[in-house]
Amino acid sequence: MTAVGIVSPLGFGVVENESALREARDCVTPVTVFDTTKCRSKSAGQVGIMKDDVFGMSKGLHRASRMMIGATREALRADAAFAPDFMIIGTTSGGMSFGEQFYRAQVERRRPKERARWLANYQPQKPALDAMEAGGFRVPVQIIANACASGSNAIGHAFRLVRSGKYRRVLCGGYDAISELVFVGFDSLQAATTDRVRPFDKTRSGLVLGEGAAVLALEDLESAQLRGATILAEVTGYGISTDNHHLTQPHPSGIGPEMAMRRALEDAALSPGEVDYINAHGTATPFNDASEGAAIAKIFGARVPVSSTKGMMGHSLGAAGAIEAVFSVLALRGQFLPPNINYREADPAWELNIVANAARDARVGCVVSNSFGFGGTNASVVIEEVRG
Amino acid sequence: MSVRIAGIGCVTPLGGDLDTIWRRIEAGERAAVVEVTNPETGRKLCAAPVPAEYTAHLGREPRLRRSSAISLLAAAAGKAALADSGSEFTPAQKSRLAIVFGVSSGGVQYTRRFYEQIVKQGANTASPMLFPETVYNAPASHLAAMLGVDGATYTLVGDGTVGLQALHFGTQLLELGDADHVLVVAAEELDWALIEAHRDWRLARPGKGALLAEGAAAVLLGHDGRRAKIASHPGESFISRREAPAALDRVFTALKPDGGVDIFASGANGTWVDALLRSAAARHLTSPAPRELVAKEFLGEAIGAGALLQVVLATDALERQSASRALVAALGWNQQATGALITR
Repeated sequence: MTAVGIVSPLGFGVVENESALREARDCVTPVTVFDTTKCRSKSAGQVGIMKDDVFGMSKGLHRASRMMIGATREALRADAAFAPDFMIIGTTSGGMSFGEQFYRAQVERRRPKERARWLANYQPQKPALDAMEAGGFRVPVQIIANACASGSNAIGHAFRLVRSGKYRRVLCGGYDAISELVFVGFDSLQAATTDRVRPFDKTRSGLVLGEGAAVLALEDLESAQLRGATILAEVTGYGISTDNHHLTQPHPSGIGPEMAMRRALEDAALSPGEVDYINAHGTATPFNDASEGAAIAKIFGARVPVSSTKGMMGHSLGAAGAIEAVFSVLALRGQFLPPNINYREADPAWELNIVANAARDARVGCVVSNSFGFGGTNASVVIEEVRG
Repeated sequence: MSVRIAGIGCVTPLGGDLDTIWRRIEAGERAAVVEVTNPETGRKLCAAPVPAEYTAHLGREPRLRRSSAISLLAAAAGKAALADSGSEFTPAQKSRLAIVFGVSSGGVQYTRRFYEQIVKQGANTASPMLFPETVYNAPASHLAAMLGVDGATYTLVGDGTVGLQALHFGTQLLELGDADHVLVVAAEELDWALIEAHRDWRLARPGKGALLAEGAAAVLLGHDGRRAKIASHPGESFISRREAPAALDRVFTALKPDGGVDIFASGANGTWVDALLRSAAARHLTSPAPRELVAKEFLGEAIGAGALLQVVLATDALERQSASRALVAALGWNQQATGALITR
């Protein structure tokens, strides 16, 4: 991994994001982009105003495109010689808010001139293509929509393609912009909380949504070393599983997350004892954390530090895996453990080593980053400091 | 190791099996056009849905009882491809069976209905039964549960080329050794909002442009398989339409064999893509010129399923016409081009 770029509720770019992680900043705020009067939950992790003078982009672009462009530009500025051969991006909802605007215009019998733009930008590949245009490159792109695991799936598949030699350089990541439909969706399922987000806490009561984008530049190690690129970290393993228990709920035993983590460790040729930190999916819903907590405890016991960074910024769905992979890289580079904020009381269902409420300095050489989603899709990625 | 097609299946407005579809095509039939009214504006629209009887047999599947049409269509095509292959997967083999699902607009019926509740009745009345089915990967999840697949399941999203993109993703999984077999499925369902949007986008106006349709296609890939060998293209992205001919040139150049092809399975759909596909074929597929198979002329444009339907029909046409090679090409409305070469 030779470069990363990130736009999240914690800030623009890796510097702002690392600072927020170290300060355990709670960036969940009242929703401003649509009316939440009739919702139970009223807060989310929202990306701040994306000034055109910062990113130099058209005002007509969807928020998702602006985030993708910001993240892509940061990565390509960090490694200007990285010329991608392929692009794999994860998302769950594409340009959903443009679809919402289109529907509202029908109900209100309006035919605004920008409706053609709404339609063209509704499709999930558009933000990736906009990022390509902004970055001045054209490569084949695959858009993975495996719900909340999408970002990790994109990184994992990119890793497999690079490791196999099929592609030398792949730009991968994920994005999602908050939208009313998805927000209300989680609210209707009572998966969203009216409280703070408290991953792995005994009193956790649900998630809040987040948004953002992150991209990672993956390159064959030899090629990167040959051109003298700065190598931030290595992706060394990827595991995927499908839990057929229920469309929206994981099997309580944690078998889906367990299989994904075990497959990722096997792929990386690592034993659980060699892992220094787990960046958990940790949405803070009772069911999800119970399933993931059980799986982590079964594989790793209570030794390995675990945190979910969603307490700080909400759940950014298709972007989550990519954003959390960047957080994992920051942990490796900065030798610290990102915090699991709003944590008050351990859940007696399992014994975990939670990085409670404050970041900790620690020796971090190997991270497992988890992402699990609707449809029973589970993905784990292993990221390590450079071995060579 | 080459990638082969072990089984194919589809469901379209003209039929739920290939024999019926070919019989009706040969009889000169086209997908029946149904009038659809935009309930908000009263505007008349038209489209070609898949008759409900083609998927009715799946309604009792536990995971499909409350699902949207797109999941039923995907399941029907997927099961047909597995049946066509004659494969019986043991539990051990299922752990090495992956599912790749391609889709363009997703569960638009439930998505529109869910948002309609938010807009007209308030967010506090929106049904939690609808929301999970609005997620792009819901059909793949249902299919995995029906088939007992617990390994890799992926959903890919894109424009009208996404069926071929899913196919390429499937070949990547095989080549990477991540699976021994991959069931690639692509599907599209219709809703008045989707039809209205494409009419507004000037792509599907009554009698002009594409006839939007429902449908689903499925291809079972493996390293062995009786149907044909397939080589797929990773796809090309283009930002403006001016870049599209060059993108198609790269696809054709990468795929075309020295000895030419017998069938050109074109993604022509009655819109601006037709001329670009035809001119690319004229530049690359000469002496002798292949027979052109334009599936969408008969089946309509089932966006997310369209390109994989081209693959299914081309694969079957090779056998029915005792031909050797077919080149499939698709150009999407939203900046993507790709193709595949099928060899018997």
